[in-house]
Amino acid sequence: MERSMGRKKERVMENKGCKELVSEVFEKGLCTLCGACAGGCPYLVAYRGRITVMDNCTLDDGQCYQYCPRTYTDMDAVSCNYFNAPYAGDAIGEVQEIFIARSADLEIRGKAQYGGTVTTLLCLALEEGFIDAAVTVRNTGSWRPESYVASSREEVLATASSNYIACPVLERLNRFPKESAMQLGIVVLPCQALALGAMKQNPPANRVDICNVRLTLGLFCTWGLAQEPFHKFLSEKVDLLEVWKFDIPPPPAERMDIYQGSDIISLPLDEVRQFRMITCAYCLDMTAEFADISVGSAEGIEGWNTVIVRTDTGKALLELARSKNLLETVKIPEGNRLHLIEAAANKKRRALHEIIKVTGNKGELMYLGLSPKAVEKMMDNR
Amino acid sequence: MADIDIDIDAPGEVAFLMGNEAIARGALEAGIGFAASYPGTPSSEILPTIAEVAKKRGIYAEWSVNEMVAMEAAAGASLAGIRALTSMKQNGVHVITDFLGNIVMTGTVAGLVLVAVDDPSGRNSSNEQDTRPVARWLGIPLLEPGDFQEAKDMTRWLFDLSEELKTICMLRSVSKISHTRGNVLLGDMPIREMKAYYDLERIARLANPIGHQELLEKLARAKEIFELSSFNHYTGPENPELMIITCGSGWLYSREAVKILQLERRVGILKIGTLFPLPENFIEKYLTRAPKVLFVEEIDPFLEPGVKELAADLPPDSKRPVFYGKRSGHLKAYGEQEPDTVIEALASILCIDYQPGDAAYEVEADKAAENHLIPRSGTLCPGCPHKASFWVIKEALKLDNRYGFVTGDIGCYTSGLGAGGFYVVKTVHCMGGGAGIANGMGQLGRFGFSQPVIAACGDSTFYHAAIPALINGVFNKSNFVMAVLDNSATSMTGFQPHPGTGYTAMGDTTDVVKIEDICRGLGIRVEICDPFDIDDTVSKLLELMDFEPIPRVVVMRHECELIRARREEVPYMVHVNPERCIGQDCGCDRLCTRIFACTGLRWNSETGKAEIDEVVCSGCGFCADICPQGAIVKEAVRL
Repeated sequence: MERSMGRKKERVMENKGCKELVSEVFEKGLCTLCGACAGGCPYLVAYRGRITVMDNCTLDDGQCYQYCPRTYTDMDAVSCNYFNAPYAGDAIGEVQEIFIARSADLEIRGKAQYGGTVTTLLCLALEEGFIDAAVTVRNTGSWRPESYVASSREEVLATASSNYIACPVLERLNRFPKESAMQLGIVVLPCQALALGAMKQNPPANRVDICNVRLTLGLFCTWGLAQEPFHKFLSEKVDLLEVWKFDIPPPPAERMDIYQGSDIISLPLDEVRQFRMITCAYCLDMTAEFADISVGSAEGIEGWNTVIVRTDTGKALLELARSKNLLETVKIPEGNRLHLIEAAANKKRRALHEIIKVTGNKGELMYLGLSPKAVEKMMDNR
Repeated sequence: MADIDIDIDAPGEVAFLMGNEAIARGALEAGIGFAASYPGTPSSEILPTIAEVAKKRGIYAEWSVNEMVAMEAAAGASLAGIRALTSMKQNGVHVITDFLGNIVMTGTVAGLVLVAVDDPSGRNSSNEQDTRPVARWLGIPLLEPGDFQEAKDMTRWLFDLSEELKTICMLRSVSKISHTRGNVLLGDMPIREMKAYYDLERIARLANPIGHQELLEKLARAKEIFELSSFNHYTGPENPELMIITCGSGWLYSREAVKILQLERRVGILKIGTLFPLPENFIEKYLTRAPKVLFVEEIDPFLEPGVKELAADLPPDSKRPVFYGKRSGHLKAYGEQEPDTVIEALASILCIDYQPGDAAYEVEADKAAENHLIPRSGTLCPGCPHKASFWVIKEALKLDNRYGFVTGDIGCYTSGLGAGGFYVVKTVHCMGGGAGIANGMGQLGRFGFSQPVIAACGDSTFYHAAIPALINGVFNKSNFVMAVLDNSATSMTGFQPHPGTGYTAMGDTTDVVKIEDICRGLGIRVEICDPFDIDDTVSKLLELMDFEPIPRVVVMRHECELIRARREEVPYMVHVNPERCIGQDCGCDRLCTRIFACTGLRWNSETGKAEIDEVVCSGCGFCADICPQGAIVKEAVRL
């Protein structure tokens, strides 16, 4: 093995392994539960909303540390690899096209969180043979999310909908053996998109062949909820076996709606927020910037998604969906677009402030390797 | 086994017997009709030696479920007029002290002998302990053989003595007597009429002060008899410079030491065979003949304080010798004695310049050992199901993430304390102790205790002593998981049958007492799994750890590899595909040779690949199932 691992830290010149991942990330509560560190070796295993260290790994140069979206990440390098351009710090990232959309398929719309765009695109990619399977998240009966490999329309439909609880999908990706030729799509949150970007920039050695990830669909995210504590909290409030949908309506609703049987149980968002993962406070990304297509809710327009197409791959898939009349797409109302940009810019600025609060130094931004220009831009974003 | 039939009727012939076989022969010569025991090294060969000829001789022998039952069963035979023997290791004697403390005061009918075999240095034990104080504490006439001949002769004679005194008598052996061989002159094999009947006229009463008084009278009578016993004797000059007072294997070491140092004209040896009550008059005769006395005995000072007590009672004008021994520090107070330790003590007391070994040779030997021995810590056999069990338990405890641990027990799986069991076992005490400890910890939730506790015990241990603890847990609603590591054998002591095996010590088939049936009968949740099915076992363990707050049981069942290997060829041919093995690279870091560390796996530092050691590998295939790269390949041999 000639491969140099854990060397994305050229600026800081540090090769580190599992031990440091534990001390610098896990023990500081910075783990986003993206799963990038786990599933590719016997030592880091995802279980019940946690990455568990099973045994002592002695390597001081590990891909676990390298791919973690909370260890030093050269944003320019990841961005150049993805978009052939350094990381500019634009509020919603690279945009080829932005619009609102919903599935034309009533079955999908009935099951999906908002407009069913992600489900529609995955089904299309599968049916066209563009991918053989999609790595995504499904819920167990009691609303514990688990990563899942869906390889048919039925299986994709079973993964539709969200409960805002973090789930390490990249761990499932890492479990594909390196010789697997299966072409994959993956649905990721912003932190996972960043880790996946790092994996693409510096491909894994002894696990999944990252070139097989043909399609990355990103999900907008404000923050994620810590799995175990939130699950415990929920199970005291509702009968999870009877719950069929969660929703956090856009501001100013300030509540989480839980659909249990024919009832809707609303929880004040502040109560829910206490289960936010600490690490989300340091996240720059609301719209999953390192993805082919990113999808979120369309504020104020029930049953529709906001969709950002970022890459040629994304564009090609979108055009195919349009030509097959699988997706209804409409120009995004200007107010929605501006509000999305404002919210995304706010997240960036808040995150940088939080990070500087910790480091006390603008030049020292925890995991973020950013150009000063990008930092200035994000700090000034209004 | 012995080179002769152990019950051969050939008085005057010499047989080459292991100490434990000599003890069994002594019991057979005494015409016992009943023997019961629970296996425990170094006592384990006594019962099967008897069992082997039991049917032929019309006697009964059993492996009991534990030492307590063995002792009580043997006492039952004695009370109904049948000579009976029970044998056990030191830990077993601890188990039976309650019964002993009562039978000594109620008395026996036919000869009843307890053979206790101690394990100096605790090589085969959880502890090093001396059982002889039990004789003094509870009042049991005690003999200790100094060689193989005495092992037989004393056992035989103890039955007569027990019958004469109407009390249980005890023989104390040690590993060096029980587990080595020597010549034994055989006695006759008298045919004894045996008719079992419990005499209803016999007064059954509790052990009240009258029982105690009677016991003291019996012990006084025993002392009188012991004064004349030929098991006690003196050899050496009339007035030696130093007198060794010794017993048991200490006698062997003492003779060897005196011979090597050529001290026959300066040192005498007073050998005592009847240790309790001491033959006071006999000892007093010799006590003042030497200005110095050295005590040589195994484990604790027993003879030493006994003789010193006598010295204290000597007339005021007597010349008391200076005493040397464990109290003076001339012999080490722990660990097994050997001729060298006696030589060193003699050399030091008598100011003799003596080098017990060749220092240069020792250095050479150490070097040779370094070159030829594989450096590794204590581990389990290749293919051992306990290793698989500890692996899955480790996995489950880590995933559970609440700092859970195992309260361990006595068996091969005690090695779960170390690297061989991935250090998951955190406590080990006595048979059934793990379940008992778990009972206590399982009540500590009220004090903020949130760590899952898994009480591990073997199948034999489950029957032996874990059942009461489990029942207690059900009764008091204690929060723990019991993991029965069921390898369907009492492996550590030599595959003796137990209630789960379906056959008895005498080779008869019997009903299997199923562990899961017992647990289900308690109304608690029971899961059965094969630890080689990693995912299934881990998920069951995780589920059971969450299933609070009453005891729940997982039976982790997989036959002992040694039994399987004796019966059939290996299940898998295992090899490493070097193309796939990534060795120390990211994604493995030598999981198989560094963490799992089966002795059948070998790390080749030159190629940077793992290898199978075909000589050692048992073909269990477990390593293939945990290899993260699929580099270890198992191919089924049996279909």
